[in-house]
Amino acid sequence: MITLPKPKPDVLARRDAVHEGLRAIMQDRGVITDPARLKPYETDGLSAYRQMPLAVVLPETTEQVAAVLRFCHQNGVRVVPRGAGTSLAGGALPLEDAVVIGMMRMNRIVEVNYRDRYAVVQAGVTNLGITKAVEADGFFYAPDPSSQLACMIGGNIGMNSGGAHCLKYGVTANNVLGIKLVTIEGEILELGGTHLDTAGYDWLGIVIGSEGQLGIATEITVRILRAPEGTRAMLAAFDGNEVAGACVDAIISSGIIPVALEFMDRPAIHACEAFAHAGYPLDAEAMLIIEVEGSVAEQDWLLGQIKEICARFNPISLKVSQSAEESAAIWKGRKGAFGAVGRISPDYLCMDGTIPTSTLPLVLRRIGEMSAQYGLQVANIFHAGDGNLHPLIMFDANDPTSMHKAEAFGADVLRLCVEVGGCLTGEHGVGVEKRDLMSVQFTEIELEAQRRVKSAFDPEWLLNTAKVFPLQAGTASAGPDALPHAA
Amino acid sequence: MIAPEDEAGFTAAIDAAVADRAPLAIEGLGSKTGFLREMQTAETLSTRNHAGISLYAPQELIISARTGTTLAALEAKLAEGGQHLIAEPPHYAFLDGADQTIGGVVAANLSGPRRVAWGAMRDHLMGMRAVTGRGEVVRSGGRVLKNVTGLDLCKLFAGSYGTLGVMTEVTLKVLPKPQATGTVVLYGLTPEVASRALAVALGSPFSVSGAAFLPQEAAMAVGYERAITIARIEDFADSVTYRVGQLGALWAKFGTVETLETAQSVALWRAVRDAEPLPIQPGDAVWRVSVQPSRGAAVLDAGHAAGLFGYLDWGGGLAFLTGPATLAAHEVVVGAARRAKGDWWLLRAPPELRRSIDAVPREAPALAAIRQRVVASFDPAGILNPGRLFAA
Amino acid sequence: MQTNFTLDQLADPNIAVADKILRSCVHCGFCTATCPTFVTVGDEDDSPRGRIYLIKDMLETGAPASTPVAFHLDRCLSCLACMTTCPSGVDYMHLIDYARVRVEETYERPAHDRALRAVLAAVLPYPARMRAALRAASLGRSVRGMIGTRGMLGQRLRAMLDLAPGAVAGRSSTERPGVFKAAGTRRARVALLAGCAQQVIDPGIHDATIRLLTRMGVEVVVAKGAGCCGALTHHLGKHDAALAFARANVAAWTREIGAGGLDAVVTDTSGCGTVLKDYGFLLRDTPESADAARIADLAVDISELLMRLAYQPSLTPPPGLVIAYHAACSLQHGQRVTEAPKALLRRAGFTMVEPRDPHLCCGSAGTYNILQPEMAGRLRARKLDTIAPLKPDAIVGGNVGCLTQLSGTAIPTIHTVVMLDWMAGGPRPDRLPSDAAIAATRPAAALAQDPEATWS
Ligand SMILES: Cc1cc2nc3c(=O)[nH]c(=O)nc-3n(C[C@H](O)[C@H](O)[C@H](O)COP(=O)(O)OP(=O)(O)OC[C@H]3O[C@@H](n4cnc5c(N)ncnc54)[C@H](O)[C@@H]3O)c2cc1C
Ligand SMILES: Cc1cc2nc3c(=O)[nH]c(=O)nc-3n(C[C@H](O)[C@H](O)[C@H](O)COP(=O)(O)OP(=O)(O)OC[C@H]3O[C@@H](n4cnc5c(N)ncnc54)[C@H](O)[C@@H]3O)c2cc1C
Ligand code: SF4
Ligand code: SF4
Repeated sequence: MITLPKPKPDVLARRDAVHEGLRAIMQDRGVITDPARLKPYETDGLSAYRQMPLAVVLPETTEQVAAVLRFCHQNGVRVVPRGAGTSLAGGALPLEDAVVIGMMRMNRIVEVNYRDRYAVVQAGVTNLGITKAVEADGFFYAPDPSSQLACMIGGNIGMNSGGAHCLKYGVTANNVLGIKLVTIEGEILELGGTHLDTAGYDWLGIVIGSEGQLGIATEITVRILRAPEGTRAMLAAFDGNEVAGACVDAIISSGIIPVALEFMDRPAIHACEAFAHAGYPLDAEAMLIIEVEGSVAEQDWLLGQIKEICARFNPISLKVSQSAEESAAIWKGRKGAFGAVGRISPDYLCMDGTIPTSTLPLVLRRIGEMSAQYGLQVANIFHAGDGNLHPLIMFDANDPTSMHKAEAFGADVLRLCVEVGGCLTGEHGVGVEKRDLMSVQFTEIELEAQRRVKSAFDPEWLLNTAKVFPLQAGTASAGPDALPHAA
Repeated sequence: MIAPEDEAGFTAAIDAAVADRAPLAIEGLGSKTGFLREMQTAETLSTRNHAGISLYAPQELIISARTGTTLAALEAKLAEGGQHLIAEPPHYAFLDGADQTIGGVVAANLSGPRRVAWGAMRDHLMGMRAVTGRGEVVRSGGRVLKNVTGLDLCKLFAGSYGTLGVMTEVTLKVLPKPQATGTVVLYGLTPEVASRALAVALGSPFSVSGAAFLPQEAAMAVGYERAITIARIEDFADSVTYRVGQLGALWAKFGTVETLETAQSVALWRAVRDAEPLPIQPGDAVWRVSVQPSRGAAVLDAGHAAGLFGYLDWGGGLAFLTGPATLAAHEVVVGAARRAKGDWWLLRAPPELRRSIDAVPREAPALAAIRQRVVASFDPAGILNPGRLFAA
Repeated sequence: MQTNFTLDQLADPNIAVADKILRSCVHCGFCTATCPTFVTVGDEDDSPRGRIYLIKDMLETGAPASTPVAFHLDRCLSCLACMTTCPSGVDYMHLIDYARVRVEETYERPAHDRALRAVLAAVLPYPARMRAALRAASLGRSVRGMIGTRGMLGQRLRAMLDLAPGAVAGRSSTERPGVFKAAGTRRARVALLAGCAQQVIDPGIHDATIRLLTRMGVEVVVAKGAGCCGALTHHLGKHDAALAFARANVAAWTREIGAGGLDAVVTDTSGCGTVLKDYGFLLRDTPESADAARIADLAVDISELLMRLAYQPSLTPPPGLVIAYHAACSLQHGQRVTEAPKALLRRAGFTMVEPRDPHLCCGSAGTYNILQPEMAGRLRARKLDTIAPLKPDAIVGGNVGCLTQLSGTAIPTIHTVVMLDWMAGGPRPDRLPSDAAIAATRPAAALAQDPEATWS
């Protein structure tokens, strides 16, 4: 279970005054203090961790966000930013003495500019909502987390989210031009803009992926891209993880960079096929979904090349989609993978390490051993192009032993990722979930360097406290003053 | 000059500088010494002897190198694997010296024409090691293509011009070199019409990877007689042929379209990348201005009216300007950039001018305060390139 | 998701079912994005995931429903968009149905609310009472201006009056039981759910269904003893009343099966169809559970039946006619019938367009527009805003509630079956504009490769 810092007694003692203050700022709209209404805010996409907040505020303007943050800063109240609450790392988990600032009412598309290829959107616009707003005109917003239907661009900024098509188009950080960021002091900073390179330090780069540690993003300028003429997928099945991995290497070495290159292992294939009936080969040990784009002739040529490469690795089956419908069917299983696992197991933990692609066979073998050792099933989904591995560990949250085992299993997997040269998280963020594993990847000096940057933005550590950075040894219950400090 | 051969050497040099309160100028090969603001430093710390490729995994699209590795050496290594640096960093014609180090390129976050489609150096910096102004070694990122573990210090270091720490090793994402390159050319357009044409190219589904406009003087410097508006496509040969054709059809409404084959294209885009079209006179200043693409034409026009010459890259979003190194000229550039809601860099100027003015725009006070705290957190003694980016 | 029920609690079969549903939710939040109330008010408490959490808490503590819980559950439209979206197959419908019963049993509503709900439950399911109420409403419309907009009751009364048709139509042919003979050789025999409110609000729908089916060789039975499907009371949380309706219908149709056999029980009101198809679950603990399951299996939407019977048009629509298809939630989410109506309309030759966000509810949702006029009004406005740019000549859909909710603008609303009947030889829908008015058409703009077309 996760340790949260001890709430500030003085803040808890001033609960009513804090509520009053928030209501005054918000003019009685969008302030939730009733425990029954607060309940659904006690958790996010990682529902194993729960904590009721002090209050929830649902601002509708940047100025309100600034006023609320200024108020919290003046009163020493902690703040937890929240988008759609789909974080799989507990990034939006509240604290008992914290005000949750929910950004979902700020859901307006402010401006779309096709000539200069950007869109300005409020933080509560969903990831897919951006694409939906521009797709009729032939454009799209590139990063595509599987949660794109629900997750919000503010949360994507928080986690620097990625997706299946990041191999070609990059992650959130590569697709954002500007951010309106409100600091804990209530200052409104304009970072970046509508131009490509910003003078001075790369504030966008440090804010994106900072998990709400540095400020709250209220308005984001994203790059929108013209969609390719078309895309098509193919499916290749192999009888071993090693050959599938070697095939991935061969494709990349050939100079072809598919827009997506997804790997599924046997349990994942079976889970997805049971749910999607996508025609996945059930006799395969490993399967690749490969997608290319361009005109029909270009797709034909690229898929032809890839097919030839795959053929060198004794595939069990190769299926090149002949139509948009067939491609959609191939993707359906992959896109529904988490849900599919949700259907065969009451709960799952989704890990998110990255590994050098060459170590995939080794890592899968070790994960298989751990699975046997912990007695918990696991299905692996891998963004093969960029080394991002998602082992889905299945467990039963109503059984405390099973849950503890799953947590320990997950931690072992992440240690393994770091050991082979990878990292703890590729796109989901550290949150509370991986907070205490940070020292596996970083030295104390490195963590301290990061903490100092945090302190430069938020000297009192009021923003999303107790996430990302390990609580200092022995201080978790010693109260806020013992928390990581300013330099 | 101190030029250590290993990381411990950098730590020792910085420890000593901190102890002596003796500021250090951080450089690679010193090619960009004339960039930005002038500094008063006691000693120079160079990465030039800390060179070598430490890891190259072509199938993983990753290369790691010690930061003193020259760009030429790095590119040669990548060429062996049929790959290249995605952001095609420039070797500006006005640099001091023939080559630069990869550390310097990353620290200055300099990117070439491909940046408009494929991102900047900062976008491809996957990992780094650095020695901070505290003499401490920090790593950030890693050797994998995706990483959101903790705050991304890589991004902060890319473009920091050596003011936070000395990077000792960088890991970059790389991609296969395209099989062919093609260019579509329009002649004689005004900046405004050209910027429309470039927007049409970049807004087309044909994966344009370069979009520039060279007014007549600039075009002449690279062997053309009239202004040229150019768009580049890089891909497999058949795709290039197809897309160049499609793009040419889209552009027909702007005038007669010509196309260039691979060899000509590569040469032309290298020139654009390296600011060769700039008619720089000895003693001239060079500014780089990044704006919303459709506003680039106005920046060029404003410069032109004040006797500055230049050209546009990044679909109009990047303007290079050159001209007399005067305060008046500087103010014209700053004014034009500000009206276009963009940013500017005084890349090169004689020391007199650099001493008296800002080299990049000032931040709003709230951000400046944060910046000072961030810089101080890495370099509390203020010994790394003090004043290079900001006076205070 | 983790749950916390004691073994005692789990002994209650309703709780056991709820626990199973709650356990299947992985709290991923996907459903929030397609929930009409969440996208409108932006509050987790008004999202499916939030409601699931509120219900979980209510059931786990075993405490009476609190005001906030009742408030947010009442705001749920039961549109079931969340179920279509959910990747984990969470059975939200049965969870919210049970939660509504709990709210009804344990929560003391304000007096005016109780009164309104009682009136709705006592009037809507009964055509004769409904007709009388509407006569009064036409009268009431003239005094509408006198009703204040302040306060819940004022708003709700206005909502009721706004929904009532301008003139009360005559009796439908289905208001009394009977058998409508097939033309020519009989291909099938089906029971038509005559239901309640629809035949009063728009009797033309059943008439079209019967004309079309009999023309296609189907014998249509309006069974004696069958009435309201039970949905109205069911969604008000009035469980016993709902069960009574359902049992009566099952009994009536089971008798028909015995008498002349039934190939299907057909509905042309998709809101009812959803409940009919769920009779097996609804009556699972009653002696007639097997009959109920059989009826549920026989239940089909008219569009499904027409697909099965290979509907073919005999006419072609007037040139330039463009219709906007509005997918009723009960059809697209409740019954997952998404393609059949569209395929039929296309087959009938209509040029059909669909608005953006077709998954979002129009706010009708049974009695929702009466009980939650503010939210219903916003959803109606949103839906109409997405339809307007398509400039259709008519809005076509398969549920009378939606058609009523979306009426009142210059664009008429017409039932799918009425349009299909027209193209198969039935009368031209009188709400449709004249052929001359229709003639003004817009060519559908293909996506230009030149992006300059999109600059403004
Ligand atoms: C089934 C499923 C699949 C997923 N698939 C992917 C995937 O493919 N790729 C991927 O990258 N992620 C994926 N995720 C994880 C998750 O969707 C992303 O992390 C997403 O970006 C979170 O967005 P959100 O709006 O839900 O933010 P939240 O979960 O509410 O918050 C995420 C973090 O951002 C902070 N934050 C939120 N809004 C702001 C703001 N306006 N300003 C500053 N900080 C803010 C929060 O404090 C928190 O730390 C998946 C999640 C689920 C449940
Ligand atoms: C994008 C957007 C657009 C909006 N547009 C409009 C608009 O056009 N018109 C408009 O009127 N509003 C509009 N709103 C406001 C918003 O719909 C309402 O404020 C919201 O429905 C109520 O949420 P709240 O958090 O503000 O609740 P509160 O301010 O707490 O309460 C609002 C009302 O609901 C009642 N209420 C709330 N909770 C409970 C409960 N638990 N039990 C009983 N009663 C309760 C309160 O008594 C109060 O009357 C908009 C909001 C957003 C985000
Ligand atoms: S039924 Fe409709 S309104 Fe109710 S929670 Fe589901 S999506 Fe929302
Ligand atoms: S989509 Fe399904 S699993 Fe996800 S939160 Fe909603 S109901 Fe639960």
